[in-house]
Amino acid sequence: MEYLGLSLALFGAACASALAGIGSAIGIGIAGESAAGVMTEDPNKFGSCLILQALPGTQGIYGLLITFFVLNQLNMLGGGAPAMPTWNQGLQIFAACLPIAIVGFISAIYQGKTSAASIQMISKKPEAMGKAIILPAMVETYAVLALLTSILMLMGVQVA
Amino acid sequence: MGVAKLKKAELYYHKSVHEEIAAALQSSGVCQIIDAGSNTESGTRPSAIEARLAESEERLADVRYLMRTLTPHFNDPVPSLDRMLGEKPVMSMAELSQLAHDTDLSGEAQKVRSLEHEIGEVRLELSQARANQALLANYSFFPYELAVITEGTRTLAAAAGIVKAEQLEAFKKAVNNFEHDTELFISYDAKAKAPEAYAVILYSRDKAQQILDACVKSGMSMAEVPAEFKGLVGEEKAKNSELINKLEKKESELINNMKKLADEYMPTVQKLSDYWTSLTSRWQALGASGETECVMFTKFWLPAKEVEKVQGKIEAVSPDVALFFADPEAGEEPPTMLTNGNLVRPFNILTELYSPPKYKGIDPTPLLAPFFFVFFGMCLGDAGYAIIMGAAIYWLFKKYKRIPLGIKDFVTLFAFSAVSTFVYGIISGSFFGNFIDAFLPFLIPVKNAFMLVDPMTNPMQVLGISLLLGVIHLMFGLLISAYEKLKDNNYFDAIGADISWFLLIVGLCLFGTGAGGMLPAAFGFIGKYMAIVGAVIIFIYAAWTKEGNIFSKLISGLLALYGSTSYLGDILSYSRLLALGFGSAVIGMIINLLGGMAANIPYIGWLIGIVVVAGGHLFSVLINLLGAFVHPLRLQYVEFFGKFYTGGGEPFTPLTNSEEFVSVKA
Repeated sequence: MEYLGLSLALFGAACASALAGIGSAIGIGIAGESAAGVMTEDPNKFGSCLILQALPGTQGIYGLLITFFVLNQLNMLGGGAPAMPTWNQGLQIFAACLPIAIVGFISAIYQGKTSAASIQMISKKPEAMGKAIILPAMVETYAVLALLTSILMLMGVQVA
Repeated sequence: MGVAKLKKAELYYHKSVHEEIAAALQSSGVCQIIDAGSNTESGTRPSAIEARLAESEERLADVRYLMRTLTPHFNDPVPSLDRMLGEKPVMSMAELSQLAHDTDLSGEAQKVRSLEHEIGEVRLELSQARANQALLANYSFFPYELAVITEGTRTLAAAAGIVKAEQLEAFKKAVNNFEHDTELFISYDAKAKAPEAYAVILYSRDKAQQILDACVKSGMSMAEVPAEFKGLVGEEKAKNSELINKLEKKESELINNMKKLADEYMPTVQKLSDYWTSLTSRWQALGASGETECVMFTKFWLPAKEVEKVQGKIEAVSPDVALFFADPEAGEEPPTMLTNGNLVRPFNILTELYSPPKYKGIDPTPLLAPFFFVFFGMCLGDAGYAIIMGAAIYWLFKKYKRIPLGIKDFVTLFAFSAVSTFVYGIISGSFFGNFIDAFLPFLIPVKNAFMLVDPMTNPMQVLGISLLLGVIHLMFGLLISAYEKLKDNNYFDAIGADISWFLLIVGLCLFGTGAGGMLPAAFGFIGKYMAIVGAVIIFIYAAWTKEGNIFSKLISGLLALYGSTSYLGDILSYSRLLALGFGSAVIGMIINLLGGMAANIPYIGWLIGIVVVAGGHLFSVLINLLGAFVHPLRLQYVEFFGKFYTGGGEPFTPLTNSEEFVSVKA
């Protein structure tokens, strides 16, 4: 039972990377399909399509960020014995990972859909690139807020 | 500053000089042609222009065909990035026109077309020959000459076909019924569990119909053996593969010819592409001119400060013109051209990306510029990354001296942003993440000496600063909106819709900070009354403007107060300034950590460490740059513009020369 805290904390860290990463992969995949379709018509749009496709990728990075944050708190980076949180502290860390895991997962998919629609938009109106970038960024707001929530929660948890 | 004053010009000129006048208008690059209206019948162009337009559209069609067909075969000596950054030959319109005169575009297009046709035919033959090769390979088990199948003898004929594996037994049985009149050859790869078997059936002509019907019924589908195959399968295969070789050789020869044509034609075609695109757009625009028997007249917008230049240009063409300038009339909606000084001009792009203001509207560019500058710096927030940006931009400007103005402005925007990024990086102690703490510990005192905020250990402080900046940004937007209304003497709406909210929110902030002990209690006291006055005005304004009975007025007033939650959402939205800056700092930290871990690998660790750190930070710059551009922009567009700006103007699009492949000398 002495490892339960550590295990819970690691479970949270894994969720943050894994779920947000899956979301980003799906989102980028959706946007990529749309981009490939547009580029068969006009290969010159590669640059703008790539930017729009990359937008749902940030959730995965936010997830990774939280994972490292947790690992750092558990003293699991750079060698040495890992910290031993109590099961209560482990559960707290797990809870702190949930916002970015869940919101990252879902928002990345929806951002991917919006990106795909934006890619269709610039295929018809290349001059609307600015607006096309802003629409997916509206979705990302909630991933940013979730990231912030996770960070603030993690900073509040004290591991002995 | 702001929206440029435009003049409306009316130009009357003799038909004999209309081409020179049109060229002068286009080369000035500051005239947007508008419909001359009344005297033209709708939809018809002056006849002289109609003819020129038809000619240039025809040439442009040739150019486009040549570009489309030859580009895949053309090894462009100038990379397209260089071209975009202004590295292209300089030519005058006269030189281009001479070049157009000397080049037989339709002849070139004809040549390319016939070559393309030839390639198409060879490819068709080739695909036929390859299909035949596959067919022959399938029937290589057939021991007799293929003439038996393709011609037959007087009494015998044969058919080749394919039978599905699961129907093979039934098929054999069906053929067996005609044992004396048929001979069956079958190849089936049972080991590989092939899905199909290949069969040739020899049969006597007497019972041809019956036998073939039985075959088809039991699952054989006929394969067409081309009539030219007469010899043994092996011989025909050798002959056919020789044919394939020959065709392949011919194909590559023809493609080589196409490459040669591309190398020969493309440099000229690219230049002419600009020339004919310019001419087509010229005649399309000038098509809006009106005409009488001898005179043509054209109307156009131009910036007020270009009036003398354009007048000089036109009068140099012919003194016999009449040119009048007038201010826009009350009902007219001129296009919008933003003019801002060198410091603000790069930010024009941000306004134009949203939507330019109406001609009489306010130009938000100078208002948003300082906020974007600060927000970008906070989002990227790393002195090291700012140095990378600065170095890249310095290299770009050093290498390319003739960058077109639009791209130059865009790059300059990032140069400005690098400055704020650097400053915020210094005061938040971030240099390639925690590079100094991780690898250069002796510099820590230097770093700490400049640090004013520390998002890593005290994020609440930076969160507070972010939200405070948000309040300032939003309140600034409200005040601009109030100012606009006051300018129209609309005191009622200015106080009711804008100043009331300003009082409420600023009052609440003062009250909160005063009560929390961050400001002297007097501020809290003032804030309390400001907020109360604001709330009362909001309530009365909403109730006043709502039509209906007393209850719906009351409800409307309460709902308006409930609208304060949307301000809460707006302000919290600025927390992204903390989150994104924090994000780039932590990603930098992770990269340094990984680099440090890699450096512990024996012998080559230092090398891997350097690669990880360098590559990682480069990736981090790119990904964070995207976020640091998009999110501050969103704060401008959604939170800030939402308070006072709707845009909706037509951008000023003067008639200019196309300069994709050449820069046109004035």
